[in-house]
Amino acid sequence: MRRSLFILMGALAVGAVVFGGSFWIARQCCVKQMAAPNDDLGWLQSEFHLNDAELARVRQLHEGYLPKCGEMCARIAAKKSELESARGQSTNVTPAVAQALKEISELRTQCQAQMLQHFLEVSQAMPPEQGRRYLAEMQRLTLGTHEQIEQSMSDHAGHEHHQH
Amino acid sequence: MAADKNSAAFDSMTNNHPNPDDAKLSSLLRESRVALPLPPRFQDNVWRRVADTEAGKTAGSPGWLEAAIAFVLRPRFALAAVAALVVAGAVIGVHDGSQLARHDAQTRYLASVAPNSLR
Repeated sequence: MRRSLFILMGALAVGAVVFGGSFWIARQCCVKQMAAPNDDLGWLQSEFHLNDAELARVRQLHEGYLPKCGEMCARIAAKKSELESARGQSTNVTPAVAQALKEISELRTQCQAQMLQHFLEVSQAMPPEQGRRYLAEMQRLTLGTHEQIEQSMSDHAGHEHHQH
Repeated sequence: MAADKNSAAFDSMTNNHPNPDDAKLSSLLRESRVALPLPPRFQDNVWRRVADTEAGKTAGSPGWLEAAIAFVLRPRFALAAVAALVVAGAVIGVHDGSQLARHDAQTRYLASVAPNSLR
């Protein structure tokens, strides 16, 4: 009985090693083959089946958008530093802290509006069906995360309320 | 007369094909057998082996397991199984790798257009 089990276990272990090795090698090769380290737009081209002309138009929009996005991010980062300074060691929300929070929020709103505008322009540079899919995907991946957080928080609050 | 009898017995003994009906010869052969003594505890050992065999049938490795192992270890089957595992691993690995590469590329694009502070 024991000998039979050893043989069976050995065969299973060899099978697992063969399968695992083959899986790992194939996976690594595929990742290396598909990775485009110097191109941020590689995903757009493969996911939304863009031809060279469409990709060139998208690339133009992308390169035009990046400096604006960088500038907004820098302003947000500066405002966050101000907020940290205003907070200092205080345990209360002082008017300066509230003002800094408000300004950060406004900057984020502007930045998000600019980002959405960029998504719209990129979607219009794509074939209509792909453009709609791109826009939906981008909204889900960017603004959708806020909705998920808000949804989870409201569910949690509702649950808490129900318990009370 | 006696000489004739002896001659007949001698002929019978030296014959390559002895007559099976020769009762005298048979009795002589039977008497000539050596009765070897049995080894010590012969009967006990026989019963112990019988008991071991019975126990092996009930508590030992099941027949189906032995049969399965014999089937699995046949070279043709083993080779086919290894080939199937290699192909299955490669197919699933390529699928998983493409998903991973796609996810990495998507993350990279998102990081460029939508910094974490906006998400």
